[in-house]
Amino acid sequence: MISVDIERRRRRTANIFTLAVLAVWFVVGWVEPPYLLPGPANVAERLWGFVIDPHMWVHAGASLLHVVAAVAGSIVIGGCLALAAYYLPVLRLAVHGRISPFLNSFSGTGWVLLAVLWFGLGGFTVVFSLAMVLIPFAIINVRQGLDSIDPELIEMARSFGHSGLKRFFLIILPALTPFLFSTMRICFGVSWKALLTAELFGGDTGFGQLFNLARQDYDTPLVVTVIVIIVAAVYASDRYLFEPAQARLSAHYEVL
Amino acid sequence: MKSSSLAASVAERVIGEGLPIAFLLLWWLTARSLPSFVLPGPIETGETLLQLFVDPAFMGHTLISLARVVASVILAVILGGALAGLARYVPSTAYAVQRRVLPVLNSFPSVGWAILATFWFQPDSASVIFVETLILIPFCAIALIQGIADMDRELLEMGASFSRSSLKIARKIALPMLLPYVMSSVRIAYGVGWKIALVSELFGAEHGLGYLMLRAEVIGNTAMVFASCFAIVIIFVAGEKLIIDPLARRFAVH
Repeated sequence: MISVDIERRRRRTANIFTLAVLAVWFVVGWVEPPYLLPGPANVAERLWGFVIDPHMWVHAGASLLHVVAAVAGSIVIGGCLALAAYYLPVLRLAVHGRISPFLNSFSGTGWVLLAVLWFGLGGFTVVFSLAMVLIPFAIINVRQGLDSIDPELIEMARSFGHSGLKRFFLIILPALTPFLFSTMRICFGVSWKALLTAELFGGDTGFGQLFNLARQDYDTPLVVTVIVIIVAAVYASDRYLFEPAQARLSAHYEVL
Repeated sequence: MKSSSLAASVAERVIGEGLPIAFLLLWWLTARSLPSFVLPGPIETGETLLQLFVDPAFMGHTLISLARVVASVILAVILGGALAGLARYVPSTAYAVQRRVLPVLNSFPSVGWAILATFWFQPDSASVIFVETLILIPFCAIALIQGIADMDRELLEMGASFSRSSLKIARKIALPMLLPYVMSSVRIAYGVGWKIALVSELFGAEHGLGYLMLRAEVIGNTAMVFASCFAIVIIFVAGEKLIIDPLARRFAVH
């Protein structure tokens, strides 16, 4: 009973806090000119304009496509590198001691600017620079999954005479599934953070390009609208799509 | 068996150490047939990299980026710690912090802060530190919320039974238990800080490696773009090995 009360009070405080933030935003937006801070009503209006404008959906679709392609590419490349180090232990130092730390500490913005110089502006530049940022996350997560596989299970499969390919599909891949899912979840979250920079400097469509136009025109309402869309999309997809799916997957594979 | 594992270990070391050398060699060979603005050679990049650390004109940019990252990390740990403390010690605010403030800050695009900062502030260090701190706060807060949750309650209760001074209990018991998490949040924030340092300096600064890199990209000075990226890798690794690792060892729980 007490815990229900505490829970209710916490929710109420969170809701009051949200309303207070909206109220402060409304007041500041009312006092300040829109190019400094557009109010919630102004942003809501732009948001509706965004929803009914097919041109904006092209940008939204392009951004989503960039994210999906980069996440898929990085999981494939990062996963292959981690698997190569797993099956060929002589590559462990090269993959986990050289490639992964190097990519992990190399600046994402650096990749964008280099990709612009190498490939010019366009979708490939965006996907390439995003993938270079995401690959180390994929390597680290898939490695964690591979390290968690019970060696006795592999040994047992070997003693049953299962071939390497069969062992991969019957033991390794199912054991990796929750980790691949969490890799996808992490990469999806990180990619939205890096996406705007990549599209702003290296793309010709997408939210980043909208940002670029808005920045040049001092169109702060559009900047805030795009931010609201991204925050809402990332938050909602993580909370209502990835989190329950991962919980179900973890329960299924008994991974905590 | 023993000699085969030794051979495997030697082979692993040879491939591991040989990879950077092979990469440098391949880079050198490829760069020979390409113009410098497409791919500068490792020697040209190395010379530019050296400039960033010894030439006073360039060193200023490197040092100012470093100072901004350090200032942002310190501020983010303090503000993240304050949020974590609020969520713990004023329980009614826990949801507001963990389900409102942190998820929004965490999913807020870094370049969004950078652009808003250009509208709100003059392009200077304060604007860059503002952007970097806001990006780093959720990382620090999440690590410190975990740290506070993991504190040994029985030890704190024992401390309370020996002393009434909450300041003394905080200093002698709570802080040592929390320090490993503080160091972990410093480590995370320092790593992420260098990753996003360039983003915040691209728009809101007239000095720093981000500014230098954007200027270099505009004039096609690819060697400087490469050198700025490598400078960050070097400073990041040096900071971690020379400062964060020893501090983390010093404050580790024994």
